[in-house]
Amino acid sequence: MKVMVCLKQVPHQDAKLDVNADGTWIQEDNIKFEINSYDTYALEEALRIKDADGDTEVVVVSIGPDRVTQALRTALGMGADRAVHVNDDEAVSSDSLGIAKVLAAVAKEEGPDLVFTGLMTDDGNWSAVPPMLAELMDVPSATGVLHTEGANGSLQVERELEGGAVEVVELPKPCLAAIQTGANQVRYASLKGIMQAKKKPIDVKSAGDLGVSGVGSAGAKVTIDKIAPPPKGDSAEILSGSTDEVVSGLVGKIKELGLL
Amino acid sequence: MGTILIVAETQNGAIRETSYELVTLAQQIGGTVKSVVIGSGVGDLASEFAGKGGGETFVADDAGLSNYNVEGWNKAIRAAVDAAGADLVLISNTPLGWDVAPRVAAGLDAAFVSDCFDAKDEGGKVVCHRRVFNGKLDAQLTCNADKTVLTVQPGAKEPFSGSGDGSTSALSVDLSGVRAKFVETKQAESTGIDLTKADVVVSGGRGVGDPEKFPEVIQPLAEALGGAMGASRPVVDAGWLPHAHQVGSSGQVVTPKLYIACGISGAIQHLVGMKASNYIIAINKDADAPIFEVADLGVVADLFEVVPALTDAVKAAKG
Repeated sequence: MKVMVCLKQVPHQDAKLDVNADGTWIQEDNIKFEINSYDTYALEEALRIKDADGDTEVVVVSIGPDRVTQALRTALGMGADRAVHVNDDEAVSSDSLGIAKVLAAVAKEEGPDLVFTGLMTDDGNWSAVPPMLAELMDVPSATGVLHTEGANGSLQVERELEGGAVEVVELPKPCLAAIQTGANQVRYASLKGIMQAKKKPIDVKSAGDLGVSGVGSAGAKVTIDKIAPPPKGDSAEILSGSTDEVVSGLVGKIKELGLL
Repeated sequence: MGTILIVAETQNGAIRETSYELVTLAQQIGGTVKSVVIGSGVGDLASEFAGKGGGETFVADDAGLSNYNVEGWNKAIRAAVDAAGADLVLISNTPLGWDVAPRVAAGLDAAFVSDCFDAKDEGGKVVCHRRVFNGKLDAQLTCNADKTVLTVQPGAKEPFSGSGDGSTSALSVDLSGVRAKFVETKQAESTGIDLTKADVVVSGGRGVGDPEKFPEVIQPLAEALGGAMGASRPVVDAGWLPHAHQVGSSGQVVTPKLYIACGISGAIQHLVGMKASNYIIAINKDADAPIFEVADLGVVADLFEVVPALTDAVKAAKG
């Protein structure tokens, strides 16, 4: 069996975010990047299938600039078998649908039985690419998946609904599952894994190599006009001063609320 | 904006309130409003929605649609888009909406924006607003395609409560070739922790940094105030606290007299679960954390300095 895991490298969750000069994205120089948190759960879910069935091949796929090599090395160190890196300025500048088209072209070459992705990314929070990719691949899909189980040529998944409820869905293979955070406990790359990863192949491609055209910024159907810190209009009154002063202010307010 | 198609959602035998929020947004954008209601035995609900702002409403009523199925809903929505001649499709950003909407958009080769909280028509183009980077930044986006699909953040607009001219017509959907199969829905297991009944909820987030700090720092303040301890999603995902403590769209939605958020940055899915609290205090060392937008009172400081001191002061005040 082959499992394709799509992952994105995103700014570290604790990175300081400054808006770039033209106000359309963040300043990416001099910040740390990491694998999108949702995608680490997707990779772990795939590696667990491989743990149970040694014949499984796990292929990680990412679209992004040179820095993405680091994320792919980490994924290989965790146990993925090989990587595909679409490193192409045009592809990188695509909107969600453009990214899905590039990934669909990779999937066409790879022919996976299962595609695992994260539910969304920590940068754009779009949660758009996974169902789009499934539509373009013409396979069934489920999002917000907390549990997967293989059975008789199908993948049975539990999707998260509201208030802790889940929906159980059976997806005949090939299919796509967009994994929710907390689905599993994500492993770390071991030292041995990191050493082995150095010998594992990373196949670098362009959109052109994949036969994809019309993506990139020119083909984008959605463009970001500007990003900015949210308006601070009715934000909190801030208590300042020493810890004692702050605490006495808080106690005063709690008394006012009749809770003390 | 030509024609706007609202995908109304049913839940527990009624139209969800979020669908009426879509009516408000559609009227704000301006255009001919049409709707689709999907399910089995949903004719009456469709008539009701049609007369309450849904307008000309298509009813995809089929035994094969008695439970949500991503492929069935995709086919029904696509059929409704064709029947309505829709230029813009509005879907609530619920577990149903985020599952199916991007598939609809990809199939239509349309522009797609998720989780918008506002949208308008600017010279025939849809311009919308949403948050990025887990609520830390606001983005304005423009859609450049013949068709546009948006998912809309629940609660972003007031639900439409008026009435209007409406009609219903049956929409047949070819469900052959549907592969995904609904098995069952499982409700959350009862855990005995009901945060919704507490007068005070003290919650900790990723900023607490360590599972041992919850019993040491967060729980004592909750106990001193006679309240309960909550947590944000990353805390539960990391296995630091059980899911029963989770506040947010996928956990419990709480409205206590006082909510104290400690080391919680304020991702949207957490805010949904606590922003209707009567009074909110936020303690976070990042002055730009989105939690301060919904808080009434904020402290920009290290929670490990403020929270234990506050616990002592509360105990002292109680004598």
